[in-house]
Amino acid sequence: MGFIDRLRSRTGRRDREDRSERSRTDGQSEEPQTDGQRGELRTDGGSDVRTRGGLSRLKHSDAVQAVPFWLPPALLMGWFVYGAVGWNLLISLTDWSGLSQPDYTNLTLEMYTQMPNDPSFVAAFRNTVVLLVAFTVVSLVIGLVLAILVDQNIRFENTLRTIYLLPMALSFVVTAIFWSWMYNPSTGTINVVLSTIGLDFLTMDWIGDPRTRLAAIIFALTWQFSGYAMVVYLAGLRAIPDSHYEAAKVDGAGSLRMYWRVIVPQLSASTTSAAVVLMVFALKAFDFIFIMFGDNPGRSADILAVMMFRVAFSRTQWAYGAAVATILFLMALSVVAPYLYLQYKRGDL
Amino acid sequence: MARVTLDNVTKRYDDVVAVDDMNVEIEDGEFICLVGPSGCGKSTTMETIAGLTKPTEGTITVGETDVTNLPPKDRGVSMVFQNIALFPHMDVYENVSFGLRLRKYDKDEIDRRVEQAAEIVQLEGMLDREPTELSGGQQQRVAIARAIVREPAVFLMDEPLANLDAKLRVHMRTELQRLHKQLDTTIIYVTHDQAEAMTMSDRIAVINAGELQQIAPPLTCYNEPANRFVAGFIGSPSMNFVEGELTETGLVTDHFDLEFDVDGLDLETGSEVTMGVRPEDIYPAATAESLSSSSAVIDATTDVLEPMGDEIFVYLSLEDSQTATMTTEEASSASNQLLMSVDPDSTIEEDERVSVVLDRSKIHLFETRSGDALVHGIEDVTTAARGEATDRRAHAEIDSGGRSE
Repeated sequence: MGFIDRLRSRTGRRDREDRSERSRTDGQSEEPQTDGQRGELRTDGGSDVRTRGGLSRLKHSDAVQAVPFWLPPALLMGWFVYGAVGWNLLISLTDWSGLSQPDYTNLTLEMYTQMPNDPSFVAAFRNTVVLLVAFTVVSLVIGLVLAILVDQNIRFENTLRTIYLLPMALSFVVTAIFWSWMYNPSTGTINVVLSTIGLDFLTMDWIGDPRTRLAAIIFALTWQFSGYAMVVYLAGLRAIPDSHYEAAKVDGAGSLRMYWRVIVPQLSASTTSAAVVLMVFALKAFDFIFIMFGDNPGRSADILAVMMFRVAFSRTQWAYGAAVATILFLMALSVVAPYLYLQYKRGDL
Repeated sequence: MARVTLDNVTKRYDDVVAVDDMNVEIEDGEFICLVGPSGCGKSTTMETIAGLTKPTEGTITVGETDVTNLPPKDRGVSMVFQNIALFPHMDVYENVSFGLRLRKYDKDEIDRRVEQAAEIVQLEGMLDREPTELSGGQQQRVAIARAIVREPAVFLMDEPLANLDAKLRVHMRTELQRLHKQLDTTIIYVTHDQAEAMTMSDRIAVINAGELQQIAPPLTCYNEPANRFVAGFIGSPSMNFVEGELTETGLVTDHFDLEFDVDGLDLETGSEVTMGVRPEDIYPAATAESLSSSSAVIDATTDVLEPMGDEIFVYLSLEDSQTATMTTEEASSASNQLLMSVDPDSTIEEDERVSVVLDRSKIHLFETRSGDALVHGIEDVTTAARGEATDRRAHAEIDSGGRSE
């Protein structure tokens, strides 16, 4: 009897119902039979039923059965991504620099505590945040406006969509060189156009002047990525049934209020996913700035990614570079984690 | 509350004519159904009334105002949509009050009206729910509340029950009728379901291919259809049609002849005429004594039986050879088949030789080419004076674009 009880308590509710039904109908008569069947199954080739049961349960669990599928990627990811992240964190706690080997015996937070007093880091951090926020917001707004315009059943819609999206397909290297030509103070398209239409007073050395340098970078990046925001919004707009527009119109909304109060709020999912991607791109804008300015764009346009490279690879202050990288990693995490959590709560993950 | 008038309304999309010269006058407080097969232009007609589409030609008047060029919000209409169209980011209260909030009513007035509307559609206590938490029927109630809360002059309903399951649809049908009684507002209701149109409306406007076929009370559409399309569309299962030729003594078809006095008809002998008779107006010869005027006996073979509980549908094959099984739709249009409905107690078997008669007072004649109705009930034709009267009436309905008294 004890054995049966153990089995039952393990196999859960269905069996319990089963048993209560049985005992209601004919009491003990069927019990031995069940016992026999279960016993046969469990004792297959073993004497200690208890450990055997635990082991076999483990053996038959989904996680174990799926080992060939999750283990290889888990090992690769674990070693090359999370292992590297961990190693980077470890290095940032040392004071490794120059050509010597790192010394892991004395781990301190010294690299982090010196950051607030480093004007170069403060400027890079500030620029990164400005770039992140301004670039994301401007790209989203432009993308939304473009999406709404393209969604009006206009002609050449597909062509326009491709034209707007095309810059995103270009590499940062191409766009950086392209924009450094555009911004050239004497021969660049922007200044030439401005002076041709009589706006000479607006011409300036866009990427030379520290006051406009960051803005010029944000503008160029926006040009490259607002098409992406447009495509995401366009998909969101297409998912909203026509009758929502019609219902809003009949209820008394003009075009502007219809979009603002009915349509845009329904695009929150599109906004979130586009914003996350754009922010991650903003954090990674290293290539663009590195191609345009080399490893030292000056304090007005320095961002953490460029600073990390400069500190680590040009000045061989490995530990400090690793610390900057950790900060950058935490920023990226703070962007992505809420999004993933949101997805998880919505049941999309 | 207001009258709605459509004058020569035409809507063209490139080279497709969606609505063709529509003239309708809808009385104050009337419940009118626009009914027709999909793609017939009934929804486009409603959209022109709502202001969501501008007619290519013609004018639309709501009350005393010509609204043809007004945006939807200034027309005093509200609309319920087929896919309900509740805003998913707003709760029930916000959805219902949306129109009022846009119009900057003060808070107390909004609350009062929302409560009232919620009470009418029986949604009390659900105002703070999200649309996704509601069942289909409740969502549709919210949509209706959103429409009534603005106290519009005209309600437009575009197949509001089409997305509900069959049982709920019948229930909501009754609720809409109750609502109409309570509010006494003009309701224009679009549907492709003739049963909905028959049961709810004061008048039905039957539309086909963008053209108004007939606008009349439901029973008039049923008993005196203006043309073959209306006859076939209204009523389920649909009317049987048999094509034939007019002779001096009546109508000759491939399988049977009908005798009547053709003088009452304005047609030459030899003209092609289609006879129409509804399934319930065909009787087994044995039970036909009660008929005041029955046709000659027609011999047929029963094909398939469809017992419905309260009646049995019998597919009759007029040819000796067995034809392949046909659906209701095919049977009604095939000249060698008749669909008959008989009493559920009848002892009738499949593949049995039977003799049936038609109720002459319920036989409709249509001109085959134009489809226009000639007469309804051929016993009338024998008395020339009455025949002509019926004839004229049938034509009058068609000529006036369907207005009927």
